[in-house]
Amino acid sequence: MFEPDSHEYNLLTKVSVDQCLKCTICETQCPVMAVTELFPGPKFVGPQAERFRDGQSVDRSLDYCSSCGTCTLVCPQQVKVAEINSVARAAMKRHHMPLRDRLISRTTAMGALMRPVAPLANAALAWRPLRVLVEQIIGLHRQAAVPRSAGRPFRSWWSHHTPSGAQDKGSVIFFHGCAGNWFEVQTAIEAVQILEHIGFRVIVPKQGCCGMACQSNGLFDDARRQVRRLAADLGQAPADLPIVSIAGSCQGMLKHEAAAILGLSDDPALQDVGQRTHDICQFLLDLAQEGKLPLDWRPNPATVVYHAPCQLKAQAMGQPAVALLRLVPDLQVVESNVTCCGIAGTYGLKKEKYDIAAAVGRPLFDLVEQVSPALVACDTETCRWQLRHHTGARVEHPIHLIHQAYGLG
Amino acid sequence: MTDSVVVGAGLAGLVAATRLAHAGQSVVLLAQGLGGLPLSTGTVDILGYAGAPVDHPLRAVAELVRGAPDHPYAVIGPAAVTSGLDWLQALLPELLQGDLKTNVTLPTALGALRPTCLHPPSMAAGAVATGSAAESAIAIVGPHQLKDFGPELCAANLARLLAAAGRETSVTAYRIDLPARPGETDSSPLTYARRLDQADYRQRFAQLVAERLGGETVVGLPAVLGLADPAAWEDLGQLIGRPVFEIGLAPPSVPGLRLHNALTAAARQAGVRIVLGAQATGFRTRGDRLVSLRSHQAGAGRDWPGDHFVYAGGGWESGAFRLDSHGHMVETVFGLPLRGGDVADANIDLLGPDYWQDQELFKVGLEVDRTMRPLGPSKQPVFSNLHAVGSLLAGAVRWSELSGEGIAVGSAQAAAAAILGLEPEKGK
Repeated sequence: MFEPDSHEYNLLTKVSVDQCLKCTICETQCPVMAVTELFPGPKFVGPQAERFRDGQSVDRSLDYCSSCGTCTLVCPQQVKVAEINSVARAAMKRHHMPLRDRLISRTTAMGALMRPVAPLANAALAWRPLRVLVEQIIGLHRQAAVPRSAGRPFRSWWSHHTPSGAQDKGSVIFFHGCAGNWFEVQTAIEAVQILEHIGFRVIVPKQGCCGMACQSNGLFDDARRQVRRLAADLGQAPADLPIVSIAGSCQGMLKHEAAAILGLSDDPALQDVGQRTHDICQFLLDLAQEGKLPLDWRPNPATVVYHAPCQLKAQAMGQPAVALLRLVPDLQVVESNVTCCGIAGTYGLKKEKYDIAAAVGRPLFDLVEQVSPALVACDTETCRWQLRHHTGARVEHPIHLIHQAYGLG
Repeated sequence: MTDSVVVGAGLAGLVAATRLAHAGQSVVLLAQGLGGLPLSTGTVDILGYAGAPVDHPLRAVAELVRGAPDHPYAVIGPAAVTSGLDWLQALLPELLQGDLKTNVTLPTALGALRPTCLHPPSMAAGAVATGSAAESAIAIVGPHQLKDFGPELCAANLARLLAAAGRETSVTAYRIDLPARPGETDSSPLTYARRLDQADYRQRFAQLVAERLGGETVVGLPAVLGLADPAAWEDLGQLIGRPVFEIGLAPPSVPGLRLHNALTAAARQAGVRIVLGAQATGFRTRGDRLVSLRSHQAGAGRDWPGDHFVYAGGGWESGAFRLDSHGHMVETVFGLPLRGGDVADANIDLLGPDYWQDQELFKVGLEVDRTMRPLGPSKQPVFSNLHAVGSLLAGAVRWSELSGEGIAVGSAQAAAAAILGLEPEKGK
């Protein structure tokens, strides 16, 4: 068990467990419980099991929680179900952390290692015999959607980039996340081009991983180190500037998960950065509502399914991308209203969870096939990879459509 | 700019938001959790008991308010209740049938008889006076693996009550052996409902039920007959070869969830922007007007400016009121005055020892005018553009008189009409 009075100890034993009325609303919305009997549900493994845990888990079914956070979001009594479960799982895995979970949470290292040999690495990861071997040795599912290295990282583009635009709206700090640098480079470039086009001077401080992958795999000490470092990096740039993020989930780590799950609520640097961090769609939508966003947008007579990532919904801002995309003339935006795509960061990559993740996302994949097999928008990288893998659709960050609307493409 | 900001995603909040959006307003709905409908029966109570069971709810409401001017229905008025519920029924015809003037009496999972008004078509055959169950031999059937439903308990109590009413109806319990998923010994009602959306599982379920039956002419089943497929229950009836009816269970309530899903989809369809996790934490005013509401949002929180505000935060059970250890109750978002809340000096037991006595705790709430605006001590609206609806309103013990949905929808209707500048509905 954790030290008395540690963050973990308090979260598990004191804070919100007693607020649970066992009302079952979390069970009605849990996407994992709906598709597998291996997971008895957030109420069972969370507030209910917590009373019996006393240092040990009741059983290991908790490991099948995907940490999507839906239970906390829908709870009417403010029970921190997902947070309780994240901490309990970290405790459960403490002394037998699988090598695989240590490896797949190193997102920056993965991007950096793949980059110099990008075509080779991409080909190797698509080569089935190797993937079967990897699955057998470390438990990464042979079909799991692993990211493709983009080759030239965003930061290399940035270092050769000459800013354009009037730069008369002030400055913003840009948070691209690991994926924006190594894998989803085009999204990061388009974000910078939009921000410059509408008049901002963009500052891109050096930045590393937010620690979310480590956190969701129970590697709390590593996660704390990473998120603190990121906060320091982003906070270095001139204070008080807004930080604009294209990493829909990672921004949640800065804004609340580091405090709620890792217990870093007293860290002033993190607090400061968290308060200044804005999802890029929310940032643009706010400008639009203040009449400060140029809306000379080209019509786009397309239909797009928009899927909101769980970690984005957990930030309690609704789905700003929907309101923003609805400003694009002629664009038909269909909200997925599906709880989760299944991937939940690294969950769906794991051998024993790949099929569960695919079943969780099935209603979403079916909707995409029905409504707009050509185009899907989603704010988080790992969800986009899962969607591309299972639907074959073109899946973009919502701002790609804004980039098009400005004719910047 | 947002025309209306609604707080709360239960029945009252969703109805108010959707009505306003249908009228062309831009509406944001902020909710701390998912909303309470998944915990509800899936039926619409107007008034179930007024001393005795009520047969004609609208008439009973009119009588009630003559003798009880402090009851929420006295300010809402029967006309708003009627027009709100007419609208709701027209919006969700697949989920709500019945006649506002007449209650039906439906069996519960314990075999008790519960009066209600609008109800899912899947429950209609169970109405003991008007459904197939009225003149039939009834079978009550459930799976062994569904621990929330005991057919023997339900059947025995139902038989006893029907006999006491002078009815010669036989009620027989049967069990089938079919887990919702292979290997499960304690399946959730929700898992059954999702499985029964699938035609092949429905067939197996129906076959097992049909094999158990004797000469019964109507079959009561736990309310798990499909979640997404509104015709699943009818198909089951055809497969079983007899009319079937659903019997509500403890939460998670599948009929309540169907209502939640349908109403949420209607709200979204109407353009309501729903923001979950957004607990209301503060507000700003200018003069006697609310200017904006502040909500929790990861990072820095958020202000939601608007012209009108509808507060549908639920009552004490939902955390909109807080009771301290001195017996003093407060409203948690705006600090609005509560009628009946300051009981420390009055020596009133908010919660009495007898479950069936009039529990004062549940009568505590907001006093409002006919446009549903909360009133201050001088009986003036606290804010000129804040309306409160649903379980926030003082004066009713909803769970014992069975009036929750009627109050929720009627008050939401009255508030929406007032915001839209329509004439407040006059009582008839």
